[in-house]
Amino acid sequence: MKRSLTILGLLWFALLAAKADAQTLTADATAAFEDDVHASAGLTCVACHQDQATSGEQFQTPPRTAIAPMCATCHSDATYMNRFNPQVRVDQFLEYQTSTHGRQMAAGEARVATCTDCHGAHGVKRVADPRSPVFPLNVTLTCARCHGDAERMKLFGHTAAPPADWAASVHAAALLERGDTSAPTCATCHGSHGAVPPGVSSVANVCAQCHIREAELFRASPKRDIFEAIGQAECLACHNNHKIEQPADAWVGLEEGTVCALCHDETGDSAETIRAIRRDLDLLSATMAEADATITRAEQAGMLLDDGRTALRDAREHQVQSHVLVHGFAAPPFSERATAGIASAQRAQEAGDAALEELQARRRGLAIATLLILAFLVTLGLKIRRLSWNA
Amino acid sequence: MSQTTLRSWLDERLPLADLIQTLRHKTIPHHRHSAWYYFGGVTLFLFGIQVGTGALLLLYYRPSASEAYESVQFITARVPFGWLIRSIHAWAANLMVAGAFAHFFSVLFLHAYRRPRELTWMSGVLLLLLTLGFGFTGYLLPWNEVSFFATRVGTDIATGVPIVGDSLVRFMRGGDDVTGATLTRLFGFHVAILPAITTALVGLHLLLVQRHGMSVPPSVERRSVDDPTALRSMPFLPHFLLRDLFAWTAVLALMAALATFYPWELGTKADAFAPAPAGIRPEWYFLWAFETLKYVPPSIAGIDGESLAVVTMGLAALGVLLLPFLAGHTPKAHRLILWVGVATLGFMTLMTALSLAGTAP
Repeated sequence: MKRSLTILGLLWFALLAAKADAQTLTADATAAFEDDVHASAGLTCVACHQDQATSGEQFQTPPRTAIAPMCATCHSDATYMNRFNPQVRVDQFLEYQTSTHGRQMAAGEARVATCTDCHGAHGVKRVADPRSPVFPLNVTLTCARCHGDAERMKLFGHTAAPPADWAASVHAAALLERGDTSAPTCATCHGSHGAVPPGVSSVANVCAQCHIREAELFRASPKRDIFEAIGQAECLACHNNHKIEQPADAWVGLEEGTVCALCHDETGDSAETIRAIRRDLDLLSATMAEADATITRAEQAGMLLDDGRTALRDAREHQVQSHVLVHGFAAPPFSERATAGIASAQRAQEAGDAALEELQARRRGLAIATLLILAFLVTLGLKIRRLSWNA
Repeated sequence: MSQTTLRSWLDERLPLADLIQTLRHKTIPHHRHSAWYYFGGVTLFLFGIQVGTGALLLLYYRPSASEAYESVQFITARVPFGWLIRSIHAWAANLMVAGAFAHFFSVLFLHAYRRPRELTWMSGVLLLLLTLGFGFTGYLLPWNEVSFFATRVGTDIATGVPIVGDSLVRFMRGGDDVTGATLTRLFGFHVAILPAITTALVGLHLLLVQRHGMSVPPSVERRSVDDPTALRSMPFLPHFLLRDLFAWTAVLALMAALATFYPWELGTKADAFAPAPAGIRPEWYFLWAFETLKYVPPSIAGIDGESLAVVTMGLAALGVLLLPFLAGHTPKAHRLILWVGVATLGFMTLMTALSLAGTAP
């Protein structure tokens, strides 16, 4: 009897606790909904919870598998959505159904992402709102909540490395350090609602969305057929996928540690081309660095070197284009561009040298002028001393 | 035409002989403070340098927001000796302000404003204010980032002038903000209006100096009663003139060295839409006033603090201008003026040092 009373007491306590928890959740949801894009459009709780049975005053959380179809009732209805924003997309649910998330969810795997996991449930913000979890600056953190969780990813046979790898990439630096919101995040390459990992054959298409010229050069090069034949993902072979680092001239070469050496060696037909490309890249960098140092020295001495700086900017422009032309994997047209860059850097060097030479000439001129002035002052001083000034 | 013929030709038309005769008979007091007399001459020499180098800069300078910076860049980088002319113009401007201040304080401390030199003092004070005006109007002309924002801050101070403050700022800027209209306006003041007024006042000042001669400090006058060697005199021609020439030549050597080893920077072009860079401050000779305004509370006894400070500075300037009529001429009054002058100089130095320390990187 005593034991039964204890169990009843515990059950009653658990019921009270559950009710209190539900009330807290409702209060939190209501508070969050006040700052929700749907609330600002005039919608209320029942817009989403309309078909649900209620327990007392508490709305029930919809099953995870039902969330996306529920959102789609409005967001796939062009006529309805047009009332709020004539430009708004209505194909998100269609895309979601093609995504890995959507396909697994449809198969009953409720642990994969659905609309509310990325957008939130009761405090949904517009994507352009910096507080939104899918705003460009936040979206990688949102993806990383699941994809950076090793335990969770292990269940699906994935690693949790991609978010950390991306954070060490040039893309992350552009976005997070320079605030360039056009820099690619997870959704840029994988898609947002239709997120899937790009296949080996389509990686280049993904990268080519931004790196157009590099992709054109690669496709026109003999590398394309070779990569297709061996099943090598195009851009990834040299640049990696998530941890895309700043390319360096030192990547080109046949020495250990270079990217080319992963496939090529001294005996291959390409060895001379690789060496020539590296030679030009090094010469261009060294000439530019030397010219920059000379110009900086002259500027610090007060010389104005707008022409030298312009030549150096030209050299930099040629250098950027040379780096792009490396993707043609052939000496010309790369060598022509690199040679033009070296010529510009040499012009900058000449301007710097001329400025330093002029600086020396100015100082020599000043030294002569100062000597003459001093001689005049001494003469004047002697003359003044010799004058009898008592009037 | 031989030298004698030329001289007689000139004598017939100009009173050169009279002038030379007058200068030969002119004498200058010589005593232990007479070194200060040379600062007036040095300031005048620097004004001459400014007129000469300014005229040369005018050959290439273009007073518009779209071309000013580029034209100064062209002068500095392309025009033969343009770098030297621009650097000398900038350095001489600063040395001229320093020379004018040294001349002002030396005249104040030696009580040279006494009767009958009231008008000499007043014309000198006006010339000092005009020199500062040259500095202010010339600062914006290269149209670089620092000068642009410093002019915005500087002109903003005029809003503190009661009643006409806003109108005064609009007049100085040629609009609500510093724009190309401000540049054109300040250029007009810098190369036409201020030089015209300054030339007239310099003429008057020199005429009055010539009319009344150099003032002998009261302390030297008193001492010379017991010790005649305490006050002697020297001929203006050639003795004083050669000493003046010595000082001018030394200043010329200093300017050439500064222009060569510390060429005046051009900086980056002004961008009205860019945020103001850190450490914006006016030229060193306005720093004391700029710093003082920072310490003024927003409101004093219900009156706007900045307005009160601006009015106080204006009244102080008026007081300085009218000093010969306001100050007594007893030894006690002279001591009071001396201490007030020393305190003012100390205050200006302290405020300048605080400003430099506060904005130093």
